[in-house]
Amino acid sequence: MIPHGTKRVFRFPWRSTADVRADIREEFQFHLDMRTAELVAEGRSEGDARAQARREFGDEAVGASACARVDARVAWRQRASTLMADVMRDTALGLRLLIRNRWFSALSIAMLALGIGANAAIYSMFEQTLFRPLPVGAPGELVNLSAPGPKPGGDNCNQAGRCADVFSLPMYRDLAGLSPGFSGLAAHRAFDVTLTPSRVDRSEWAMGMLVSGNYFDVLQVRPALGRMIAEADAAAAAPVAVLSHAYWRTRLNGDPTVLGEALLVNGHPLTIVGVAPSGFEGTTLGFRPAAYMPFPVRAVIEPGGGKDLENRRFHWVYLFGRLAPGVSLAQARDALNAPYRRILEEVEAPLLTGVSDQTRTQFISKEIVVTDGSRGQSRLHAALNTPLTLLLVVAGVVLLIACANIANLQLARAAARASEMAVRLSIGGSRWQLVRQLLIESCVLALAGGAAGLVVAHWTLQGIAMLLPASAVDMSLAFALDWPAMIVGAALTIGAGLLFGLAPALKATRPDILSTLKDQSGQPSGARSSARLRSVLCTAQIALAMALLVSAGLFVRSLVNVSNVALGLDPEQLVTFAVAPGLNGYSADGTRAFVERLETDLAAIPGVTSASASLIRVLSNQSNGGNLVVEGFTTDLDADTNVRMHGIGPDFFATLRMPILAGRAFAAADTVGAPRVAIVNEAFAKKFNLGTNPIGRRLGRRGATALEIEIVGLVRDAKYSDVKGEVPALLYEPYRQNAELFGMYFYVRTALPPEPLLTSIPGVVRAIDPRVPVRDLVTMPQQVRENIFLDRMVSVLSLAFASLATVMAALGLYGVLTYTIAQRTKEIGLRMALGADAATVRGMVLRQMARMTLVGAGVGLLAAFGLGAAAQSLLYGLDGFDPLVVASSVGLLAFIAMAAALAPAMRAARIDPMRALRWD
Amino acid sequence: MSHDTLALLQGTADMLILQALRQGPAHGYAVSRWVRERTDGVLSMEDAALYQALHRLEARAWVDSEWGLSENNRRAKFYTLTPEGRAQLRAEVSAWKRYASAVFKVLETT
Repeated sequence: MIPHGTKRVFRFPWRSTADVRADIREEFQFHLDMRTAELVAEGRSEGDARAQARREFGDEAVGASACARVDARVAWRQRASTLMADVMRDTALGLRLLIRNRWFSALSIAMLALGIGANAAIYSMFEQTLFRPLPVGAPGELVNLSAPGPKPGGDNCNQAGRCADVFSLPMYRDLAGLSPGFSGLAAHRAFDVTLTPSRVDRSEWAMGMLVSGNYFDVLQVRPALGRMIAEADAAAAAPVAVLSHAYWRTRLNGDPTVLGEALLVNGHPLTIVGVAPSGFEGTTLGFRPAAYMPFPVRAVIEPGGGKDLENRRFHWVYLFGRLAPGVSLAQARDALNAPYRRILEEVEAPLLTGVSDQTRTQFISKEIVVTDGSRGQSRLHAALNTPLTLLLVVAGVVLLIACANIANLQLARAAARASEMAVRLSIGGSRWQLVRQLLIESCVLALAGGAAGLVVAHWTLQGIAMLLPASAVDMSLAFALDWPAMIVGAALTIGAGLLFGLAPALKATRPDILSTLKDQSGQPSGARSSARLRSVLCTAQIALAMALLVSAGLFVRSLVNVSNVALGLDPEQLVTFAVAPGLNGYSADGTRAFVERLETDLAAIPGVTSASASLIRVLSNQSNGGNLVVEGFTTDLDADTNVRMHGIGPDFFATLRMPILAGRAFAAADTVGAPRVAIVNEAFAKKFNLGTNPIGRRLGRRGATALEIEIVGLVRDAKYSDVKGEVPALLYEPYRQNAELFGMYFYVRTALPPEPLLTSIPGVVRAIDPRVPVRDLVTMPQQVRENIFLDRMVSVLSLAFASLATVMAALGLYGVLTYTIAQRTKEIGLRMALGADAATVRGMVLRQMARMTLVGAGVGLLAAFGLGAAAQSLLYGLDGFDPLVVASSVGLLAFIAMAAALAPAMRAARIDPMRALRWD
Repeated sequence: MSHDTLALLQGTADMLILQALRQGPAHGYAVSRWVRERTDGVLSMEDAALYQALHRLEARAWVDSEWGLSENNRRAKFYTLTPEGRAQLRAEVSAWKRYASAVFKVLETT
């Protein structure tokens, strides 16, 4: 008898449901026939016997389907357990092979780890910044509102969105009252505050968030503790605040008894009524508000803040809404625009003064734009979209190259295992079984690579965090691997395993048994087509590496351009920081005294050559501006008379080393009572046709009754709010003539290394008033670097990825050439025996390299031009096609290809004809 | 079903089938006949139920099945007791014997 268990091997593994049912029918029929025959033998008539047999049998249909159910379950279980056992066996085999082929495994795992790790890291950033919805109820229903068009009066915007996106608070209240398409419209605006919990006697800068009364309701965010801000709070201007979970946990030790206690905001007490849930950090990526408070509170906590609440001509709040059930985005927009236009026409248009008819028409035909708001509102979305997409593509290419390399190595191994495969096919192994085994080997390899890739991803994220400014790292971005990135990593791992495993597996198991078995001593079957596949893979790698090299070259060149931008000021040995005595209750006069004293005290620090204050933090995206009337410059109503403005201390130009071209710098005597003076830059002089000597010309704010400001100096152009932007027309005024001082930025120049200042400056400020905190204390070169962090991140990462890709492609090239020479040893030996010299043989190998490199580089260049065009917006001072970059990339690639080919070529040239010909 | 036949409990039917297969591989019809003959027709079950039991026993790996040729040269499905089935039968028989003797003891003392 056949031993138990043997027959399963030969049973057809998958029985269909129809097969199962047919078997059962046959089994039952056999029974009925046998019983009928038996009864007939006992003397019954045929018909009688059959009826009796059926009666005894019972319900055939029910029995059959019950049996079929049982059988189907058995079949499924068997199939699963067979597959499971096979997979386990193949996995064990795969592991053994991996351990046996130590070098192959180590190299493959390293390449995979780099490829998968880079992808997981970039994807993690991508997901966090560009995909992840807000942690609120049903984020898909949220929409952002914007109203591009003329904004007469003033506007002020921040990272939550462009200045086109802001509304006035009265307009918000009007819209919120009549928004049929929305279940709620909410408003918010972030601002700087000092926070002092009453139980902690220490104040610190933080971000406060002014919110409409329905903000948390619209977001569907429930309190972790206490209650959220409600409509009643906004209506009654209640002095209440809700803490962020992070602030409550870190500053108040997560103590639940803080409810009802006071929180001093800019020195004014608000009652803590609740704590927001963990993970909720407002709706703006990059902002981490510490406390939320109703809009009317602004009148209390900020000097002069109350007037903005009712001002229809000041645009500063961001709006978002939740669509009513069943209402589409377009319907909600149309339903909102009708009343919006009516308000513009009937309420706001009459407030317009000094504008042309054209502007008035533009104004009243403004439309509200409604966009998806599931990710909240942040300018980072737009800023990061192109660079992160690009880096994701680049990282994907690195992984592709790694896969191509491993596929190549696998092909080489497949050739070595061809006879094993042929034997197994010939003794009855199915091709599917062999392919499965090879794929599982690939997946085992991929899994090892994926595991190591997690470590690489972690390092990569740490590296990226180092490239970003401290403020960005502090923002809600978590530089740790999270679930979505892990899942993507796992998917990439399996995908990579299939990608580099499939072609070799199919190739190795091609049922071409006879020729392989016959050909044991010579080349394995399919050697020629396998060699071609390997060349194609290698050429593709070279192409991809070429594309990455060119694009990395573009970004590096762009970064060099950005780094060499003439700033117009000297950032070396300069330290900058900010204080805001106004937030500690100082009056405008008190603040002025504080700032003047601080300027003097800073200048007295040993080594410091000069120090000055200013109203704007230069080169950090801050900007302040307004419209002017300039003597001698006649304009119509719509002419662009907008300039940027800056309030500065007497030594500002000396401290920043900005040369004065004509006239004088500000003096200590230019104070509130003295005649008003200003200094303009070259761009200003050009914009208003002031020539080379604008000294003595007068100007005034648009709408002012007299031109009361006199130009006393002309200063060389210098960058204002960012490194890459054009220098705008700039008007400098002495801050000492400014009636509303609140907080200032300081610049300290030292003749010594600047780092010690970073520790001594807080002491100097403490000596004046220990309650006033110092913030944004950095050296100026650091601030400049942070201003161009995106350029640095893109170029450093793309350079790193391109280097990786090139090294991998070189490895691939080396591998293919080495393999080809091994394959052709006999042929080369024969040629040498027939008189070919070493140079001819070397040339043969080098020609093969040159062919692959030329084709690869050509294709790669085409891809690089595409990549360059897509990344045009990220390039500074050059376009997507840069001859220098292309030439040097091609040169570098050619050099590396040559280096990779040299060793194989030498080896080929040293082949001993006698041994090669004997070689079997 | 007449008055002098007793319906079988499921567990009992399984035990009888396993017992029938103890002699060697048999097709369903042979098992059915064996049960009928051995119990003189007192214990009876519908054949449909018998086949369900056979398939269920196979799902539990107590019996194994294989298509073969019957005594009259027709294709028939033969069931074989597996070692696990043999062990199960031993366990069930001893449990049944203890059960029956306990019941008898009660009945005889009254």
